[in-house]
Amino acid sequence: MDEDDRLTQQIRDAYQRPLPGEDVARARVLERVRREPVAHGSGGGRWLRVTPLAAAASLIAVLALGAVGGAAWMKARTGARAPGPATLGIDGQPTAVTFVFRAPGASHVALVGDFNGWDPQATPLRRAALGDAWTAEVQLHSGLHVYAFVIDGREWIPDPSAPLAPETGYGRRNSVVVVGEGDAL
Amino acid sequence: MRSAGVLLLVTALVVTPRAHAEPVDEARLRARLSPDIADRVLVVVRAAADQGLPTRGMVARALEGQSRHAPAAAILDAVSRQGAALAAARMALGSTARDAELEAGAAALQGGVPEDSLTSLRRARPTGSLVIPLVVLSDLVARGVPAPQASSTVVAAARAGAADPELLRMRERVNQRIIRGEPPPGATREGLRELLMRTAPDDRHPPPASAAKKGGQSP
Repeated sequence: MDEDDRLTQQIRDAYQRPLPGEDVARARVLERVRREPVAHGSGGGRWLRVTPLAAAASLIAVLALGAVGGAAWMKARTGARAPGPATLGIDGQPTAVTFVFRAPGASHVALVGDFNGWDPQATPLRRAALGDAWTAEVQLHSGLHVYAFVIDGREWIPDPSAPLAPETGYGRRNSVVVVGEGDAL
Repeated sequence: MRSAGVLLLVTALVVTPRAHAEPVDEARLRARLSPDIADRVLVVVRAAADQGLPTRGMVARALEGQSRHAPAAAILDAVSRQGAALAAARMALGSTARDAELEAGAAALQGGVPEDSLTSLRRARPTGSLVIPLVVLSDLVARGVPAPQASSTVVAAARAGAADPELLRMRERVNQRIIRGEPPPGATREGLRELLMRTAPDDRHPPPASAAKKGGQSP
């Protein structure tokens, strides 16, 4: 790579770097676009005047909305689903409850709770064939159960979709699942 | 705090009548805890069992501490406070409260809910299960709703006859608002407002007799 090529590459890199204050400028542009009155049926047969700046801003807005939506979707995908805060149960009979947890990048996920002695080795979750979902089915008796997920043997985290239990002295909260209780059932 | 919790437990155990005793899972505790801490935990657990308090959660609390590599003092403290909270929950909810209600009530108390809120909840729903209302109450507090507001919200919903599915939906809506950035108190106010507006007559839990006599109580 000669000197010209290096210079060209530097210029290309400089253009690809975000500009200082770009976010602020983008917000101002979007605000101006929102305030821009829409022209209906005015002369020249144009019902909406679209300047190149507005078009660019709209494109940025669409991309931003897509990014925000995608991020929200990804966030939702990382959450756990089921069993839900209350699960149908029959008095005296254990109920099969399926725990589902989405953990992108995890190599091991375990379920710990009062039903398995909080033993991280007792109930490993199985990774689904596709995606980032991990699942485990557990037989639970009626009543209130407290649980958490253990990611890669290190990080204990509550179920983001379930009610939280209070912190009880060990520094982290757990989640709650209720089986066969209440008039929700 | 630990001594206060133990004192409260001992006091409660002395003044409450004996009921039934649950089997203590001694073998599991001894298999997981050091002999010294297992002995001390078992003293607390047996005292609770002798007074008819459910000990499943206390044993689980000790095992949780061991799995989390908590110090022995923290494990004993957590088990003692759990026992004290169970005893206080029974005092607040009444001697007929079921084990799951006591466990849910103890959790609420440990989260900072005042005891009289549990009593108010029992009055608001004298016959139905309080497990779900107490779980919702604990969840609201855990998410940053001040305990007095969380308590008044759940009690108001119960007085209005909201059934468990409605309470769970309110919890979910409040949680979603908090996730979106709303302050927990405002999110809770909106959650209760929506519940009161949306609760259909068919979904409602039978109101307490006291409310029926007065023509219903508004929150």
